[in-house]
Amino acid sequence: MIYLDYAAATPVDKKVARAMQPFFAEQFFNPSASYGAAREVRAAYADAKHRLAQTIGARPAEVVLTAGATESINLAILGTATENPSANTVVTTAIEHAAVLRAARTVGAEILPVDERGRIDPDELYLAISDDTRLISVGYANNEIGTVQNIRQIAEIIQEIRAERAERDVRNPLWLHTDASQAAGLLDINVARLGVDLMSLNAGKCYGPKQVGLLYVRAGVEIRPLIHGGGQEMGLRSGTENVAGAVGFALALEIAEKKRKSEAKRLATLRDDLEKYITREFPEAIINGDRKQRLANFLNFSVPRLDAERAVFALDQRGVYLATGSACAANKGTRSHVLTAIGLSPELADGSLRISLGRGTTTAEISQLKPILKEVIKNEQKLS
Amino acid sequence: MSKNSAKKVYVGMSGGVDSSLSAALLCEAGYDVTGVFMKNWTRDLPGMQCPWAEDLADAKRVAVQLGIPLRVFDFQTEYKHLVVDYMIREYRAGRTPNPDTMCNQEVKFGLFLRAALAEGAEMIATGHYARVGNNSTRFPSDIQESRHDFSGQPLESPQELGLRLKHHSANQEPDRKNHSDSFESSSNRTELLRAVDANKDQTYFLYRITEAALGRTLFPIGHLTKPEVRAEAERRGLVTAGRRDSQGICFVGSVGIRDFLSQFVETAPGDIIEQETGKTVGRHDGAIFYTFGQRHGLSIGGGLPYYVVSKNMAKNEVYVSTNLNSGDFWREELHLTDTHWINAAPEPNKTYQARLRHRAPLIDCSIEKNLVRLAQAERAVAPGQSAAIYDGEICLGGGVIAS
Repeated sequence: MIYLDYAAATPVDKKVARAMQPFFAEQFFNPSASYGAAREVRAAYADAKHRLAQTIGARPAEVVLTAGATESINLAILGTATENPSANTVVTTAIEHAAVLRAARTVGAEILPVDERGRIDPDELYLAISDDTRLISVGYANNEIGTVQNIRQIAEIIQEIRAERAERDVRNPLWLHTDASQAAGLLDINVARLGVDLMSLNAGKCYGPKQVGLLYVRAGVEIRPLIHGGGQEMGLRSGTENVAGAVGFALALEIAEKKRKSEAKRLATLRDDLEKYITREFPEAIINGDRKQRLANFLNFSVPRLDAERAVFALDQRGVYLATGSACAANKGTRSHVLTAIGLSPELADGSLRISLGRGTTTAEISQLKPILKEVIKNEQKLS
Repeated sequence: MSKNSAKKVYVGMSGGVDSSLSAALLCEAGYDVTGVFMKNWTRDLPGMQCPWAEDLADAKRVAVQLGIPLRVFDFQTEYKHLVVDYMIREYRAGRTPNPDTMCNQEVKFGLFLRAALAEGAEMIATGHYARVGNNSTRFPSDIQESRHDFSGQPLESPQELGLRLKHHSANQEPDRKNHSDSFESSSNRTELLRAVDANKDQTYFLYRITEAALGRTLFPIGHLTKPEVRAEAERRGLVTAGRRDSQGICFVGSVGIRDFLSQFVETAPGDIIEQETGKTVGRHDGAIFYTFGQRHGLSIGGGLPYYVVSKNMAKNEVYVSTNLNSGDFWREELHLTDTHWINAAPEPNKTYQARLRHRAPLIDCSIEKNLVRLAQAERAVAPGQSAAIYDGEICLGGGVIAS
């Protein structure tokens, strides 16, 4: 098996799985219980949150654990909106994950276009923000084409607008949220350096457990909970704490951060080598996304006259697992909104394959993949 | 190279195991095969957009496996018009329609066939449990082709085509004692024959097919039983081998006919009246939801169960009875309307067999001027349903049961 869909799911790191193990059947106690055994569980949870906070450069009280990035994103967007939102309460981009776009549309969103590489124009962002706008949500790295946005620069623009608002005595706050699900383990996710107010992360994308995520909420951000109950997570996310998930996530993120620089370098080398092969074998192929500002493990390309779905099925039958432009889009029988937003023709969007490398990817695998990929694409082009 | 290599066949692929194996058998027999996924009308249901997407993906997986192209024919507009609207119209008129039959007549052996021929296909194929026969050459085969080609050129017999995939023991062959007369008397007819698997036979839904369409049709799995189809699919490693069978009317989906109809017709509550006494015994939420012979869903408490005997759509009244022996429930005669005969109308004074429901047993009958006389009284079926008429293994056609 050659697995090249790390953007969809990563295997749980063995050390992570081991660290989680005690919290299922042995240390299963409710962290809120009063007996001594529960105190240990409570301590383990607090430690996990402390480490998560440390890894992203935040304070533990600024970290809300959730059941995955989709929930984090919903909390960030719906939780910061007012009761009477306006048409551009949220300003976001056309290439965001469905979680962002769908949540934003329910509160009123201005959707910014992107260029053919998937980058937003900072000037357009500046102009799109009105006095009613409360939240900017820009994905750190896109989950289909891997394009990386300059979050630091966006944070500076927001800083500018805040100052202007203060001068004019406009009270409406303005916050910056970034969905950093794909970035963990590949890019700097230090919230202070990025200058974000809110950040969503997903354990399932960085060799941790699925259905575990976090939302960083900078102290001072006005936010309301979506889930009410026992008041856990500073009242922002009720429900008995997922101790095993938190412990696993904390270790997974630490490992990812520790390996980040070397992995990014290693994967970029493998990716570039594969990319060179594809452009050589298929001169008509188009590399999607920004060739420079791109996640190190991403390779999204389009081949004319190819039904990419056929290629994915054919590769599957040969033990190679990868994705069409977007796994979600493919399942729904609709065209990827990201590929459409970067101006790809329907034909090229339908002929798009997404290869995402990860920790398990080796040089040998890439060498093995090349001839298979070539043969399958050539063959399916004839039948598409 | 096989003689079939030049013969272009478009096979309908739904993503199910029957059509998947059909495509595989055609490939193995040497045809030039193109898979076609028919996109029929569906409604987006809450939480379930494009339910066809997964079926299309499965059809495509098999096409990739077989190394054949898969085309998508979008019949959504036509399907809505020809099948869905028909169904709603019939229900409104108080009848119980048969959308599957309409789908076969209008979409699969109408639109699909015409579109395939227009693209240069010589034949179409589907995964129905049925067989095509020619009265002068009837084999216990396998993939059968008509001897009569409607372009005027005779086709080779199945044996010449090298299509015998598998021999069947005699006991698997359908009973043919009943049609020995017609066997001799007619010539050069393309006939619709019952499937070898009596339990899966789908000719009841195919009785409205035309002879011309039949002459262009292959049923590659008509000689196999369902367990054999699964086993053959599995043996070939087809990815759809283990897929569960689809149930019910496709476009109605999981919501059920009741919820489906509610989205299209205005309904009002009305009285449930006991047939014998004229007494109101309960209330219903719309006569359209009630079908002749139905027992379930009548919220009348206590005593013997009630069965729907008839309805008055204009008055929005449903009539019921507890007496299953009531004459209303049993019929010895059926009036057919909208009859369709594949080869020729049945002859009077001859014994045929009728089938009143899919998979129901065949009942001896005679036919004269659209009046079917059953050999014994049968539990009646709802007006709007079909009666298919058989002469032994040959399906002659049939008609719609009148009120």
